[in-house]
Amino acid sequence: MKTMAKRIVAGLLLVVMICAAFTSCAEKKDGIQLIFTKAGEYTYNTYTALSPSNWNELTYQDNNDTQIMSYIGSSFFGFDFKYDAEGKIVPGEFEIIYEAATKLEDVTAKYKEAWNIQGDKYMAYAITLRNDLKWDDGTAIKAEDFVYTMKEQLNPDFQNYRADSFYVGATIIANAKGYAKQGQAGLGAPTAETYSEDLDASLIFTLAAPGAIVNDKTLLEQCYLRTSMGFPASYDAAKCAAYLIANYLADSAFTAEVAAKMEGKTFAEIKADAEMKAAWDALIKWWQTEPNEELHFFLTDSEYPKVDWEKVGIFVGENEYEIVVVLEKALDLLDEEGNLTYKAAYNFASLPLVHKAKYEANKVEPVAGSTLWTSKYNSSVKTTASWGPYKLTFFQSGKAYILEKNENWYGYGVKENEGLYQTDRIVCETIKEWNTAWLKFQAGEIDGIGIDVSIAQDYKNSERAYFTPDDYVGSLQLQSMGEALSANEKDDNGNAQGIDKEILGYADFRKALSLSINRADYTAKCTTASKQGFGLFNSMHYYDVANGGVFRDTDEAKKVLCEVYNVDYTDTTKYPTLDDAVNAITGYDLDAAKALFTKAYNDAIAAGTMTADDKVELVFGTGAINESVQRHYDYLTTAWKEAVKGTPLEGKLTFKIQDFSDAWADDFMAGKYEICMGGWSGAAWDPGYFLLAYLDPGTAFSAGWDTTKQMMTFTMKGVGENGADITETMSLMEWYDCLNGATGAKYNWSSAALAESQRLQLIAALEKEVLLKGYSVPTYNTFSASLLSYKLDYVTYEYNTFMGYGGIKYMKFNMDDAGWRANVKAEDGKLNYK
Amino acid sequence: MYMFKYILKRIGLMLMTFSIIFVMCFVLIKLLPVNVDKVGFGEDPEKLKNLMEARGYNKPILEQLGLYIKRIVLDGDFGIGINMPEFQGADVWDTFTKMLPPTILINIYSSLFAVPIGIALGIFAALKKNKWQDHTISTLVMVFISVPSFVYASLVLYILCFELNLFPKTMNPGYDYFSIDMFKSMIPAVLSMSFGSIAGYARGTRAELTEVLTSEFMLLARTKGLTKSQATTRHALRNAMVPIFPSIIGEFISVLSGSLVIEKIFAIPGVGGLYLAAINSKDYDFFMMLSAFYLLVGLAATLVIDLSYGIIDPRIRMGAK
Repeated sequence: MKTMAKRIVAGLLLVVMICAAFTSCAEKKDGIQLIFTKAGEYTYNTYTALSPSNWNELTYQDNNDTQIMSYIGSSFFGFDFKYDAEGKIVPGEFEIIYEAATKLEDVTAKYKEAWNIQGDKYMAYAITLRNDLKWDDGTAIKAEDFVYTMKEQLNPDFQNYRADSFYVGATIIANAKGYAKQGQAGLGAPTAETYSEDLDASLIFTLAAPGAIVNDKTLLEQCYLRTSMGFPASYDAAKCAAYLIANYLADSAFTAEVAAKMEGKTFAEIKADAEMKAAWDALIKWWQTEPNEELHFFLTDSEYPKVDWEKVGIFVGENEYEIVVVLEKALDLLDEEGNLTYKAAYNFASLPLVHKAKYEANKVEPVAGSTLWTSKYNSSVKTTASWGPYKLTFFQSGKAYILEKNENWYGYGVKENEGLYQTDRIVCETIKEWNTAWLKFQAGEIDGIGIDVSIAQDYKNSERAYFTPDDYVGSLQLQSMGEALSANEKDDNGNAQGIDKEILGYADFRKALSLSINRADYTAKCTTASKQGFGLFNSMHYYDVANGGVFRDTDEAKKVLCEVYNVDYTDTTKYPTLDDAVNAITGYDLDAAKALFTKAYNDAIAAGTMTADDKVELVFGTGAINESVQRHYDYLTTAWKEAVKGTPLEGKLTFKIQDFSDAWADDFMAGKYEICMGGWSGAAWDPGYFLLAYLDPGTAFSAGWDTTKQMMTFTMKGVGENGADITETMSLMEWYDCLNGATGAKYNWSSAALAESQRLQLIAALEKEVLLKGYSVPTYNTFSASLLSYKLDYVTYEYNTFMGYGGIKYMKFNMDDAGWRANVKAEDGKLNYK
Repeated sequence: MYMFKYILKRIGLMLMTFSIIFVMCFVLIKLLPVNVDKVGFGEDPEKLKNLMEARGYNKPILEQLGLYIKRIVLDGDFGIGINMPEFQGADVWDTFTKMLPPTILINIYSSLFAVPIGIALGIFAALKKNKWQDHTISTLVMVFISVPSFVYASLVLYILCFELNLFPKTMNPGYDYFSIDMFKSMIPAVLSMSFGSIAGYARGTRAELTEVLTSEFMLLARTKGLTKSQATTRHALRNAMVPIFPSIIGEFISVLSGSLVIEKIFAIPGVGGLYLAAINSKDYDFFMMLSAFYLLVGLAATLVIDLSYGIIDPRIRMGAK
């Protein structure tokens, strides 16, 4: 027995030693507290479900990382509240203010010659920095630091994740793309000027657009034929081929099928295949007038050429505080009087900035087998530098981080900030479980929390509750690929199994599904605070930011909803005003839904796509079957089953919920199932561009809807010469290209070329087309509900799109840390927020 | 000598098994498709594809495997996280070694708490077989085994941490794992993990001991003059421990991967869920590092459990002919 006891003791000792060995790997530090109790100090305690991991401006990948970035950086220009004469905030309005910069000048004329700036698309701006900008360690910040950072941002050896922010999208710095991509391999135009058969094996036939992937290689350029024909970027290879066939090669051997077969083949392969050779002969016969024009159809292995840094459009200007940026695309940062426009704060708020010494010290060489340099900059306390109002003082991955006031921040000495930035410290704990956070909130340990649907009834009327709108429109997406619907009806062996899905291809059926949903009831029961939604856009979408123009508030947008949901706004006896008509929209009409279900059924039977014995079985796909999704699914399917009662579909309409995990969206777009909940957010200030999410088959959920063939006849009022109207019949994508001024589009009606008030009519027309098609069925406009601690208050509870609730800058504390702890203790650690 | 040879043989087999599974893991994760076209609005459509190329992920898989092993052996570099939102750009080894201690400590504390109580309850129930004490313990054991641990965790959090305010609701931040405050903050998680284990050990011990107590050698021990207590502790308990002790080691090893639910509820910065997240995100370096670790621990545990039979019961001699 003694031996046994010794063994047990030895075993326990071993366990303790293993434990000590593992824990010795960890960094030893004094205990860290998340609850602060000192008098005169103000701590904002918050939580996050996902811990940030990389707050390096050059490489961060998701919004999760911006939670630290937003506190440790500054902006050149920013939004601020607009105040009336009495000093009260004007709801919904904003001002643009200078922050870390003191001056912005349009210096296009000055650099026009040196940079060979031609046309009105190129612009040069000079930004003058404050001369008291410093890092948290006291190092001065000058223009050269921004230039250094941009050079690192675009460094091709790193392929930084955020490099494309400066060559794709709104802010395009001259030659930034060329510098960032130099040396990268892909397919480019042949360098040979003379064609010979020796080249056949290296020439690749492609009509695809630059950026497309052909034979696993990226197209660095497009073939000369595309350039010559002026095909816009939105035209893929198939669309180019279709255009050529329709206009020049009808009844030739060059058919759409053969064109698809030729795509990506070498010239040698094409010549070796009789069918492709015949098509080629037809093609070259039509095209060739001069020798060597065979090369116009081909690309070959190539790489981006070397670009000197001096050719990139960012450099130090006339003094050490002046940065000059040459943009390839006009941004209109200044109005005619030289005042900052909203675009200065939105598109050009700042340029990335890294602390040179720290950044250099944290570069990591490529590992074996890789050519990619990486960086550990801004991934821990030691590697982090701040030039913002707060600095990072503690970070533990997956657990917590603490930010404290950066005494070297210029802003604390600025007169305009007097009385602001009351928060001394921001403490953020990672809590993945909402229930845990909820208990901590009630115990006064965190200062804000989102209201979960489980407590919504009890707390959404709390005096501490506030509701935040979001630009996300929750929608149902209905499968648009007819062939996929047909294929999904069959079992794995391709045999019919008495199931019909093709009825979803009938617009009447889709509209019936939409009209069966009582949106007001649906949002009340299935969401915390969202409101019924009917359009692709909601109150957060601005078509004219500078003038505060909300799309949904316009007559054009209101009429779209009335027309789509069958409310006759012209009937002034019933609806005295347009607003009355809009307010009458419910999107819920059971009688109409039943009639449409019946009509769709009869049409399907008549067309033979469905038999009377078939049952309709639609798969409702999701990324995860959780409580929330199940609630939506149960509500919707119950509503639909209720709606088909008394129609031939009664008892025949069934649904199945299926988990498609992370691939749910891709699988839907690939036609693997029939219904999903999905929507879009982003580009809230550019609804014209945002329409891409619904119109581009490569982006939209409705991947089977060919918007390049869906025609629309529309009259654009007052946009022609001398204010004449222009009536055209074009495909939806062509209208879209005109709206956004795409290269090759028939008209340029982009923001830069046309007044927003005139663009509005086309945005509304396109929205109407999408809604009428019924592949996307908007159901709710997202609102999130939250509770705020008694400890602090926002400066306003009226949400401002540009300023939110004022953020940390305007946050006001009702008591200091000591006072708050005493208050919590007096309440026995349980605060009542009902 | 027999034992030594046996251990060497087992280690050899272990390394072979490790190598085969390691290669399989590497090949299989690399065979999973990656969508390189999935970029957001206003982003360079080529960037993910180019990053894959630059990281060497487009090379033949076996060449990648060779480079990966070379990198680990020569540079001690286990790579960086690329896809998991919480670990993008994070050093895999640093992250893992920083996140493992909380998981291990909570499991050690849980075992230290559950094993003696569970075994004691089991012994007590066996000695009081078919009496009210046994029935009470057996009923409670059934209840505690049937209820999942997240229910205990929620109750512990609400009652002990919120209503009674006895413990912090979440684990303390920082790395001072042996401080009183840190220990106190781990207690709710330890308790939540222990209830099920206590019930399991109690049930196992009771079943084994009940059987042993009715064996003929126990009768012999008593007839030779040993008291009931002596016979039970010296002979019955020892025999009953043969299947129990390895199960303790087995359970301890199995929970090294962390409890996803418990760690989530008490905000413990441990490794629970890390492996699953790495697979879902196709985070190659995290997946391989974690696969290798758990594989090694699992194989070593099998060896230790097998050897432990010989320690508990001298009649069992590994490797002897």
